[in-house]
Amino acid sequence: MTFLHPLALLGLAAAAIPALLHLLERRTPPEAEFPPLRYLRDAERQSARRLRLRHLLLLILRTALVAVIVLAAARPILPTGGSGGSGGSGSGSGAVHAPTALAVVLDNSLSASAVVDGRPVLDRLKALARASLAQAAPGDRLWLVLADGVARAGSREALLASVNGAAATPQRLDLVPAVEGAARLVAAEPLPAREVHVLSDLQHTAFGAGSVDEPGVAVLVLAPPARVPANRGIAAARAGEGGLTIAVAGTPGASATPLVARVQSPGNAPARAREAGRTLAGPGQSVTLPLPPLAPGWWIGEVLLDADELRGDDRRLFVVRVAAPASVTAEADVGPFVSAALAVLRVAKRVVVGGEISIGERLGAGRSIVLPPGDPALLGQVNRVLVARGVRWHFGPAGPPGTIASADLAMVRGVQVNRRYRLEGAEADSGVVASVNGEPWLVRDGGVVLLGSRLDTTWTALPGAPGFVPFVDALANRIARGEAPVAEAVGAPRVQFFTRGADTVGATVFGPDPRESDLTPATSDEVRRAFPGARVLDEAGLAAARFAATRRADVSGLLLGFALLIAAIELAVASMSR
Amino acid sequence: MVDSRRLDLLDPAEVARLGGIEIVAQGVVEGFLAGIHRSPFRGFSVEFTEHRAYQPGDELRYLDWKILARADRLFVKQFEEETNLRAMILLDASRSMAWRGDPARLTKRGYADRLVAALALILLRQRDATGLMTFDEAVRQVIPARVKAGQWTRLVRGLIDTPDGLGTAAEAALRQLSGLLARRGLVVLVSDLLLDRELALTALRYLRHRGHQVIVLHVMDPAELDLAGPPEVRFRDPESAASVVVRPRELAAAYAATVRREIAGWRTACRRHGVAYHHIRTDMPFGMALRLLA
Repeated sequence: MTFLHPLALLGLAAAAIPALLHLLERRTPPEAEFPPLRYLRDAERQSARRLRLRHLLLLILRTALVAVIVLAAARPILPTGGSGGSGGSGSGSGAVHAPTALAVVLDNSLSASAVVDGRPVLDRLKALARASLAQAAPGDRLWLVLADGVARAGSREALLASVNGAAATPQRLDLVPAVEGAARLVAAEPLPAREVHVLSDLQHTAFGAGSVDEPGVAVLVLAPPARVPANRGIAAARAGEGGLTIAVAGTPGASATPLVARVQSPGNAPARAREAGRTLAGPGQSVTLPLPPLAPGWWIGEVLLDADELRGDDRRLFVVRVAAPASVTAEADVGPFVSAALAVLRVAKRVVVGGEISIGERLGAGRSIVLPPGDPALLGQVNRVLVARGVRWHFGPAGPPGTIASADLAMVRGVQVNRRYRLEGAEADSGVVASVNGEPWLVRDGGVVLLGSRLDTTWTALPGAPGFVPFVDALANRIARGEAPVAEAVGAPRVQFFTRGADTVGATVFGPDPRESDLTPATSDEVRRAFPGARVLDEAGLAAARFAATRRADVSGLLLGFALLIAAIELAVASMSR
Repeated sequence: MVDSRRLDLLDPAEVARLGGIEIVAQGVVEGFLAGIHRSPFRGFSVEFTEHRAYQPGDELRYLDWKILARADRLFVKQFEEETNLRAMILLDASRSMAWRGDPARLTKRGYADRLVAALALILLRQRDATGLMTFDEAVRQVIPARVKAGQWTRLVRGLIDTPDGLGTAAEAALRQLSGLLARRGLVVLVSDLLLDRELALTALRYLRHRGHQVIVLHVMDPAELDLAGPPEVRFRDPESAASVVVRPRELAAAYAATVRREIAGWRTACRRHGVAYHHIRTDMPFGMALRLLA
């Protein structure tokens, strides 16, 4: 037996109070004359045995009463076994548990906003999270993990408020790392019990690689719903040369659904949006809609689906950049591959011949894409010109071979570079567009772009790669012009533009994680693989299993009842006349 | 002025506030006699003297049936009391008699004084020679039985002049009393009987043996019948200074039973020896107490 408030046991000293009061009371009773004292003595003599017994009984009862009340105040706890009890809320009066480290993983990702049986899944998950937290005792350590993966430590009340305020987010919850992090947190706590409650729709796409098997941590997983609605969502909408490419995601087997695309100028109201096209598509399909002729500039568009049970993925924004083709002058020394790529781009009307941008071993008057000279002896001359133009980068000594890495230029990632010059000069990595072996390989400073290798197969495998022409396109139309690509990110649907001076140079389009559209629940095998040793339970089972391992009974209520019984007996004995 | 008609039925403490012992006793006796319409002790020792015309309220047993038969007129016989009845009232003036359980009540002694005065007045009005003896641990006052004028005043003075004593020694007083009563007479012992019962009964039995009529008036305060008080109290006997600590609430029932048993013991013992016993509470109207004697 343990006590929740062991300090209260000091009050057991108060059990001596009845005896002390008895002694103190007897010390100075008031005095009065009473002539028939002989009758009193007779009565006392006849009642002495009964009175002694009664006094002793009263003393015992009163001492026991104080002791029992003090024991009740100390909140004695008795183990009730780890079977999980009879289910229900498990929070019946007097049911407590040993101090427990508890992490509740509440999946408030977009998929949880799906309406099932007329009620958002998230409401059900929040109710269960509240039930878990509500049963927490003051001695417990608590965390709440939401779809952002952040473990929030806090008091029961604070976390309950967080649960109440949790809304569906466009983010995807990577369930395995989230549960793994939660399990590690609770495992680090020196408490008798550790539990992780996983409250999720257990979407198949929430399961990645890896598994959670933290010894000593009880992982209770809410079973996936028996039925999920057929959902469709816009997984991606990207404007390119071929038009607007739309990818539809959703629950496999869901029928095709109508979708419509609209575009509008950023400054215009949505009502003035122009319809770009309509089509029919189902999950897994990708369709391309031609974009109408648009004036140069930035355009915002949206693709809409008919509303279904998951509304959050029925709309996705996209951005269209309409710019005039770059006018490029290629020097004679650029080599055959660049010349061929520019020819292709000219045919595609991506570039025209002109003086806006020069590409070669020398700097032009305007924007320049500078390749390293074939003759190393010319490096010094080129570097001096770069310095004279105020460019902070220059060619350095030759660097070791490697592969290209770039966050911006996906088409060149992993391409082998055999020869290169190190690009040196700028203090930080400002202006680095691509690197090899972690060293700058493609940099931009002002209107000058430096390449560490010539675009020749003896220097790099890039000219032979499929992404070479798009790379040259990007060099001419975007990197040399200083424009950032249109990026995509997970977040509430919106478009964020990047400007340099008065010019808009890039944009990021935010939207929900496309993996959230597939509401298919994970199979039991997947769950077992991800969480070996976890208990997958329905709502009633979860309620019964919470804190079950160390659930104990608080017998203070029982003791108080016993105290009442003692008090009643004491009252009866005290008021007994004979 | 005292309303003398029914003072005998009022609360003794209220009656006592109306005046001294003489006034109260007279008022009580007047009311008492008016209430019973006849002398309470008449017929005890009287001789016929004359006739008078019947008045409504006269007892029919005193009608002279011969005159009624002869002259068809209603006459009652009148008697002249004898003076050879000698009554001695023995009053316990011990310290225990000077006690009362409630300041609003008379002490046992105060009640007994007034009762004795009233009783003596009734006896003297019947022309019975009446005397008084007061005692505590010794005999304090002795007023021989007389019927002459001023006797009642002397008796009352004797009551007033007897201070509250200490212990109680009734047996000695009773034995001394038997010496004072040469002829058979009436002995009235007024006491709270907080004394040695066997000794007292021996003396009473002796008096009965001498042919005296003996009446015992057991005076008790109501607070002596039912134990009450604070949760715990030390009770002290005013006569012996002995004390005992008790919790009245838990001893009340046993005490009440003991008192009932004690009273019953006195009643039984007195009856056995031919002694009249009456239990009188100090909140009992004097008239009721006197009626017990009638």
